[in-house]
Amino acid sequence: MEVKETYNGTIREVTLGVGDKAVVVGGETALSFYTFEGVMPRKPVIAFDVYDEEPADWPAPVVEPYKDVLGDPVKWALKCQNEYGADMICLQLVSTNPTGTNRGAEEAAQTVKAVADAIDIPMIVYGTANVEKDTEVLAKAAEAAQGKNVLMGPIEEDNYKTIAAAALGFQQAGATHSPIDVNMAKQLNILATQLGLNADRIIIDPTTGALGYGLEYVYSVMERLRLAALTQNDSMTQMPIINTIGKEVWKAKEVKVSTEEEPAWGDAETRGIIWEAMTAIALLMAGSDILVMRHPKAVELTRDFMALMA
Amino acid sequence: MKKYKVTFYPENKQIEVGDGENLLEAAMAADVHINSQCGGEGTCGRCRILVDEGEVTVLKTLKLSEDEIEKGYALACQTLVKSDVKILIPPEARLGSVPDEEEEMVDYGRVLSAAEEADRIKQIELDPPVRKLPLKMNPPTLDDNVSDVTRLLRALSAAGITNKMEVSSSVLDHLAHAVREADWSVTVTLLFDEDRTRVMRVEPGDTTDRSYGLAVDVGTTTIVVKLIDMRTKEAVAEGSAYNAQISCGEDVISRIVFSGKGKGLKRLQGLVVDTINGIIKKLTESAGVDPADITHVTAAGNTIMMHLLMGLDPKYLREEPYIPTVTSFPDISAVKIGLDLDRSARLFLLPCVASYLGADIVTGVVAADAPKGDGMFLYIDIGTNGEMVLGNHDLLISCSCSAGPAFEGGGVKFGMRATAGAIEEVAIDAMSHEPGVLTIGGKKATGICGSGLIDVLAEMFLAGVIDQKGKIDLGLNTARVRHGENGPEYVLVWENDSGTDRDIVITEPDIDNLMRAKAAVFAAITVLLDSIGMTIDAVEKVLIAGAFGKHVDAKKAITIGLLPELPSDRFTFIGNGSLWGAHFAAISRDMIRQSNDTAKRMTYLDLSTNNKFMDGYVSALFLPHTDMSLFPSVANMMKRD
Repeated sequence: MEVKETYNGTIREVTLGVGDKAVVVGGETALSFYTFEGVMPRKPVIAFDVYDEEPADWPAPVVEPYKDVLGDPVKWALKCQNEYGADMICLQLVSTNPTGTNRGAEEAAQTVKAVADAIDIPMIVYGTANVEKDTEVLAKAAEAAQGKNVLMGPIEEDNYKTIAAAALGFQQAGATHSPIDVNMAKQLNILATQLGLNADRIIIDPTTGALGYGLEYVYSVMERLRLAALTQNDSMTQMPIINTIGKEVWKAKEVKVSTEEEPAWGDAETRGIIWEAMTAIALLMAGSDILVMRHPKAVELTRDFMALMA
Repeated sequence: MKKYKVTFYPENKQIEVGDGENLLEAAMAADVHINSQCGGEGTCGRCRILVDEGEVTVLKTLKLSEDEIEKGYALACQTLVKSDVKILIPPEARLGSVPDEEEEMVDYGRVLSAAEEADRIKQIELDPPVRKLPLKMNPPTLDDNVSDVTRLLRALSAAGITNKMEVSSSVLDHLAHAVREADWSVTVTLLFDEDRTRVMRVEPGDTTDRSYGLAVDVGTTTIVVKLIDMRTKEAVAEGSAYNAQISCGEDVISRIVFSGKGKGLKRLQGLVVDTINGIIKKLTESAGVDPADITHVTAAGNTIMMHLLMGLDPKYLREEPYIPTVTSFPDISAVKIGLDLDRSARLFLLPCVASYLGADIVTGVVAADAPKGDGMFLYIDIGTNGEMVLGNHDLLISCSCSAGPAFEGGGVKFGMRATAGAIEEVAIDAMSHEPGVLTIGGKKATGICGSGLIDVLAEMFLAGVIDQKGKIDLGLNTARVRHGENGPEYVLVWENDSGTDRDIVITEPDIDNLMRAKAAVFAAITVLLDSIGMTIDAVEKVLIAGAFGKHVDAKKAITIGLLPELPSDRFTFIGNGSLWGAHFAAISRDMIRQSNDTAKRMTYLDLSTNNKFMDGYVSALFLPHTDMSLFPSVANMMKRD
């Protein structure tokens, strides 16, 4: 006997970017890839991580594909768009981190504008999750990217007022970030929508953990968010989900250790690629709509998986 | 060793202490109360005093601002005497007195009236566990030469007492004189057990018109005693006092910690007994009753208070897996624990369920006659611990959660007990964000009590001073929101208008504590309901016990999501359920039996091992709740704004 669940809720559709290359995410009426129970109108999209300064802590295998463009975010973004077929670019404003380079908001905004002007695919702009600095940086970034309909984040409980207001003011979308908790994700969405940011301008960033680093925790939280959205028609959980996978995967010990240090673990590059693809695939199953990734080969594997499932 | 004189003002009490003694100990020895929650660990900041004159050594100054230290403020428990000193105790660190109970009017739900209580007492058949019986005996002759005891038992048997009889050994001492003094007419005090009857006392003549019982509610903060005339079943006097154990810590956990230090346990038992004796003295004097005519005492309280009253080590109640020594107490002689009563007087402690579900709840549920019908009831007692029972005549399920001391005014910068000068009602204007406050006794405000805190939270929320997460909006156009030493804060009373030398503020950490407290209580309610697959609508009556319930505006409590949103007519404030229960037990063995049955029938859910509790807790850490559909009227109020 075939048992089918029926759902009464739908994930909202959120449009990001402008023009021909704009993407729409969400729209599911069943759990992801449960096409026998409902509709999954489109495949999740993959955004490529682009740093606004040369990354200090990327392991060699993931530096390799970008070694000619590191330190030049415009070239880097174009490479991802033109060579690797990125659906989106995720510009990480790591240079603004007060414990690092501590670049000012104005300067960061110039980078945002330069990248946004150079590419034609949609853009995500992420701060460093420093609550105070992000307030400044993302407000400026929202202004710099006006007219580009970018996704800005992370919006946190402690700075939602400013950042969500900036997103609202400059017609951008916002990624609400909460610490792996269904209720807190929901609470932040309530706060942001009460401020005036429309529910269909919000993407949930539930916090991502890599394989071996809390993946199952993230998985169950995402699944619970999805079940609340679909089975309870809970409006404040019906937003598409973003997972910042690259950032988490490429700092895991099992990914960073070189082939020479641990020969028994096999080739470091293959290991890293598989680690990233495995994390991505698991989170796709849990309901991810936007994957932020790094290694082009991991992206390829993930796309193969999506093609297989569709 | 050097000795120094310490004088405490405004009491003007003096005591001599050794060099290096700390001021909190000195105050205890001088019988001067200084508020302290942490039991002298230097962490709660409640025992703030002003060193007026003399030399001291200050160990820790946690919770004091630089400005205060400059002015000479110090923490009593962290300040050592180094010369003769004069110490001023500021108003907020004093104990104050228990405010008089007034008949409360509420605009949401209803308060159980005195008339209903009296009615209930009338319905209960008089059958106390200890009773006086007048008895006439035939005088002995050479032909009828059985002993006095045998004669007494024979007369009892003739009077219809058919149980197995025993005579307490203490009766024998004066029996020979007692029976002869009034010509073989005596009054016998009998203790009824299930299968035997014990003669506790024999008095000459008929003294049945002088027969009294005591009902005691042993609260962690307040102890209340009723003196009951056994003929009418009604209380002839009622009195209360702060539990003197407060000096050793304000909540049960700090009391348990204190009991483990040196002679702490003995001291705690002594203090609670002293408090009860003090009230007994007042009551008997005012009612013109001889304490010797009190035949028995019934007492209810939380499990820790019951243990401390009995002098039992409460250590293991606090450590996993939280095991009490006993939950169903044997009755004992009241003088054994030091009560100033006749040595025949018996003490009955009502039964508890678990370490954190005590006799106060069990008897309260029985007194409210809750578990009788088909419909579901929810009994809630909110204090430092929130205890609740859900059930009907078929099932009883209970749990307790730690709400923290916030609702009793603890863990909050300007929190205080509900005494004169405490802010108990607040209204905040949504346009100007200006507050209006009412204090107990109309005195200048010195702090905020539990009900005031609930008002503050609800009003700040509705006026937009805080968001649903409880975060203060510093962007408001008023000087009342500002950055303080503990982060963002809201000024409730300016220094000039207050009865203290500081602005009275509500800080974000205060709000966090309140949010956590209310979330714990609501989560416990949801876990209870969930455990039997029910939703809140299924609850037909909500019984709210405790002083808390009487003073809190239920509408405000619903606004912040502390109490579930249900129609007004489902809420009843029953007042001191524990005292009620003790009263009923004093006049009726059936009520004691019902309490025992209820305690046995009650399932206890341990929330510390319940994974749904944490989930419910986080979703309740929002005003009023993450699931707004549970609070439709609050959602409406928010839309209007």
